Parts: sequence; C-alpha cells; structure tokens
Amino acid sequence: MKNLKTAFVATALFAIATPFAAQAQSTYDDTQQLIAQIQADKRAVVLEAMALDDAQVKAFTPIYDAYQAERKVLMQRGTDLINAYASNFGSMTDDAAKGLLKDWFKLKNDELALVQKYARKFDKVLPTTKVLRFVQIENKLNTLLSLPGIANIPLAK
Amino acid sequence: MKIASLAVALAVAAFPVVTHAQTGVKADEQVILKQVMTDKRAVYAQNLQLTEGESRAFWPIYDEYEGKAKKLNDEFLALVDDYAAKFGSMTDADATAMLKKKMQIEKDREALKQTYTKKVAKALPPVKALRYAQIETRLDNMIRREVYGLIPLAQ
Repeated sequence: MKNLKTAFVATALFAIATPFAAQAQSTYDDTQQLIAQIQADKRAVVLEAMALDDAQVKAFTPIYDAYQAERKVLMQRGTDLINAYASNFGSMTDDAAKGLLKDWFKLKNDELALVQKYARKFDKVLPTTKVLRFVQIENKLNTLLSLPGIANIPLAK
Repeated sequence: MKIASLAVALAVAAFPVVTHAQTGVKADEQVILKQVMTDKRAVYAQNLQLTEGESRAFWPIYDEYEGKAKKLNDEFLALVDDYAAKFGSMTDADATAMLKKKMQIEKDREALKQTYTKKVAKALPPVKALRYAQIETRLDNMIRREVYGLIPLAQ
C-alpha cells in the first residue's frame, strides 16, 4: 500500500514536469492540483512510516501540516523554475542561465533550512529518535519524488 | 549506463551498514568511492562537450571540488558507521548528535556545490555551468536514492 502511494506521488510529480518536455507551460491551477495530491499522499505515507503512538500523532500532525504548507510554496517555486527553464530552452542566454542557477541555489538553501527549522520544532514534542526518523523519511521521499522530474528535464544547451 | 553504475557502486559501499549493522563499515569503501569518482569524471567528459580551452579551465576546478566532496563523503560514511553501531539501542542524545552532524554535512555539501558551480560559471559559459549543475544534481539524487534506500529508519 505504502509502495503504491509512493509510486503515485512520484507519478504525479513526473506529470508536473512532463509539460516541460513538450516545451509547454503548466497552468497554475493544474500545478496546484497536482501539488495538493502529492502532499495528501505524502502525508499518509509519512504518518504510516513514523509509527507514532496516539499522543505523538496529536503532537506531530499540526506541526507537520504547517511544514507541508511551507513546503508547498517551495514546490511551486520549483515548478516555476522548471517552467522558466522550459521557456528559455534552446535559446538560453548567459544571463538567463545565471538567473536560473541563482534561483535554483536559493531554492535548495531554503529547502534545507525548512527541514532544519521543523526538525527543531518536532524535537520539542517528540523523542529525538523520531525526529531523526522524520528527517530520514523526508530525505527518502524527496529524493524519490525529485528523480522522475529531474530525469525528464533535458540538459541545458 | 555510467550513471547507473555509480549509484550501484555507492550502494555497495553502504550495503554493509544494513547487513552488518553492529560490525560497522570498514570494507572497501575508499576503493569504491574512488571508482565512483572515476566514473563520474567520465560522465562529465561525455556530457559537457568541452572545447580544449574549456577543458583546461574546467578540470582543475572539478578535481578540487571532488577532493573536498570526498572529505564530506568520508564524514557521511563515518556517520553511517556510527548509526549502524548504535542501531536498535539509540538514545535521544545519540540521535541529537547524529541529526546535528547530518544537517551540517548537508549544509556543507550544498555550500560546496554552490561555491564550485560559481567557479565553473566563471571558467565556462554560464549555460555549460548550468549543464554541469544539472548533471551533478542528477548524479547526486541517484546516489542518494540508493544509499537512503539501504539505511533502515531510526527506531
């Protein structure tokens, strides 16, 4: 079940990046819908994998939902970046490449900072071994989710 | 093909963690990491399509980057060793120290990647620097997927 959900999430993320290959822009609404679906499925996977008791679930979920809300903003920025790359693809100027690199770096830094910020929040309400487990799950899922999208993006030229 | 072999090589490096959680990772990880780096070099050579002048500018930066990245890889493998040794009997204090170390390595790795991509962007046309960053990200993600897949979740 967990594998199926994870596969679905990966497929959904792939779908976000797929319009890139066709050199098309994702519409804002479609992207929002896909991000919402990814997040809903991811939430279920994370909750199951965390193996929390009832009290821990009560403490964990509001913080996790706040984390997801902030993560959603970053996912949207990632999608915007892919679309910007798509619209420059084939006629990429040096300035456009520099701008994309700068935005990409900023996004990666913000993603790292977000996990760190929420690990501290979780650490106040959960045993640290559970916080470590959360970071491991996030790393696994985010790596898994980013792979299909990344592989679908042709290299700059 | 090359990229897949990189992922497999690093996965092999991490495999003893799972199968011999209490004995630690002492096998041939340095040899395997060296192999990963050699293969990685071939992937870049094939995909960056550098001119002679670009090659002269790029490879010294690349080698310097890989030298520093290797130190972070070694730190990560030491952390995995520590994790394996404590697996199943981890205290909150252990978890706190490991979490701190893991996040520091992640931060250092990202900072290193960005510093050297900027250096590459000064030595090569920015479009090729972007291409370099894309390849690095793809390789990094493939290796991470394999390694993370082999490390059991904290209990």
